[in-house]
Amino acid sequence: MSDHKERLDQSLSALMDGEATDMELHRLLKEVSEGSELRDKWKRYHMVSSALKGDAAITPIDYSAAISAAIDEEPSHRQSVLAGFVGSAGRFAIAASVALVAVLGVQQLNSPLDSVAPVSEFAGIEQVDEENVGPAIQFPSGFQPIINARTVSAGGNNKSSQFVTPVIEVRQQAERNYSEAQLRAYMNDVMARHSNHAALNSNQGMLPFARLNEAEAAAEKE
Amino acid sequence: MVFLSFVKKIKVAALVAAVLLHGPLFAAQMESAHDLISKMAKASRELNYQGLFTYEYRGNLTSVKLTHAVQDGQIYERMQHMDGVQRNALRRTDNVDCLRTGDMLLRGSAYRLNDQSYARLEDFYEFHIKGQGRIANRQVVMIHVLPKDKHRYGYVVAIDKESGLLLQSVLMSHTGKPLERFQFVDIQIGGSMAELGFDSEASDFSDVALDQGNCIDSNSQITTSASRWSTQWMPPGFVMASHKLVDNQGQESMMFTDGLAVFSVFIDIDKARSLPAIEANLGATVAVLTKAEINNQEYAICVVGEIPRATASQIASAISMSSPPPPSSPASSSPSPSPLTSKSPLP
Repeated sequence: MSDHKERLDQSLSALMDGEATDMELHRLLKEVSEGSELRDKWKRYHMVSSALKGDAAITPIDYSAAISAAIDEEPSHRQSVLAGFVGSAGRFAIAASVALVAVLGVQQLNSPLDSVAPVSEFAGIEQVDEENVGPAIQFPSGFQPIINARTVSAGGNNKSSQFVTPVIEVRQQAERNYSEAQLRAYMNDVMARHSNHAALNSNQGMLPFARLNEAEAAAEKE
Repeated sequence: MVFLSFVKKIKVAALVAAVLLHGPLFAAQMESAHDLISKMAKASRELNYQGLFTYEYRGNLTSVKLTHAVQDGQIYERMQHMDGVQRNALRRTDNVDCLRTGDMLLRGSAYRLNDQSYARLEDFYEFHIKGQGRIANRQVVMIHVLPKDKHRYGYVVAIDKESGLLLQSVLMSHTGKPLERFQFVDIQIGGSMAELGFDSEASDFSDVALDQGNCIDSNSQITTSASRWSTQWMPPGFVMASHKLVDNQGQESMMFTDGLAVFSVFIDIDKARSLPAIEANLGATVAVLTKAEINNQEYAICVVGEIPRATASQIASAISMSSPPPPSSPASSSPSPSPLTSKSPLP
């Protein structure tokens, strides 16, 4: 018996037990529509099941062909051109009204920002951002290094590794020993300069300077 | 049949009217939120005020006393940290009318990049008025600023109804998580230089260097000296706001803004050898440090800003040298025909 058939049989018995998945059901229906072998098996399974349960009449009568023929006879199932047109026009009308509701409704809908209460969420020391998840290694103090192929210990959240650092960087890093103090000084320096820039240009006045203090404070804790 | 078609016509007319009428209403709301933001930028520059605000990120909180005054066209600012190490910052800006790129992007309906393209804040953010509130015992209008792409963050801002001052600013990630928050807890608006205590600091202020330069008029863009560096990719909407050529520390810097978000690019020569390639973040600020080797010279390229990390990485990796440096003096810039501007696809 081929793998395929074996799988179909398993699916079939699962369906009998009412445990078939959608996927299995689809596969079975496709198979049944293509050949009668599986259909026969289905009938047999039911007969066996009935016999086991002790049901009296086990007369294999197949109504399916007759029902199928009767359905074909039904006039309403024949597609007429007009009906098709009316049908799609009706659908269009529904789509249009849905679109209108969407146009009117979108403005009532909450933006993603609405769904959160910034104030209450702030209290928790949460990860800053999915993007900014980084293993908490203590370097430089205050900063959370996000990726660092060489210094990150195994077993951290390695989501960030999808950002590929150019090969040359990794090589240089491996060869050269940098000093933490130097890096920290550099980071604080660029942060300070950036905050200064931002204070002049972000339209928030001196507020960005507050960030600067954090960088310095972080450095001083060392 | 006639009656039916008449009904149909009415339906169509109602539908059309609903769509058409609603459009302008929506636009008007957007405009006024945007107007409030523009007003905010002006107010925080031109008014005298003193207040306490808190800065918060990841459960860290620091409080700061901010004093701001304008006299004789000069802006005096003092920032005093109220906790931790004693720390004061003084700043004097020469010209209250000095509009920088950020102001232009925010204030003007359009900031001209060149003859063909314009940068409009509305092309990159949506502005929504979200009702009223009370902050620092003052009535405020809450505004949500939503980014239209993944290259910038959103904001929840609260603007004082009476003065237009910014009383709260929360930087929001794309998933709606707050990244950092500035919020006033107390503020007094008005007051003279003496009342604000600036007079006693006159000598201190005379030592403070003036923040000068990078002022622009409404029709011109920032005058940038030609750089050896060019950006192959820029998040749309960001334009260069300032550029400093290599200083005696071997550092060249550029700053870009879209009117709300700001990021800086630092290119170091002297320190490059002692720096590793690393990405780090502090609060909402991300720093991406990459290294490049061009003509046997090592460079450290660092992108720092309140922007998503992926965007910062992309910017950092898109920075390249437009022409080889003169071998003798790396400080002099070659006449590059391509100044660093954002290639905006806007009409």
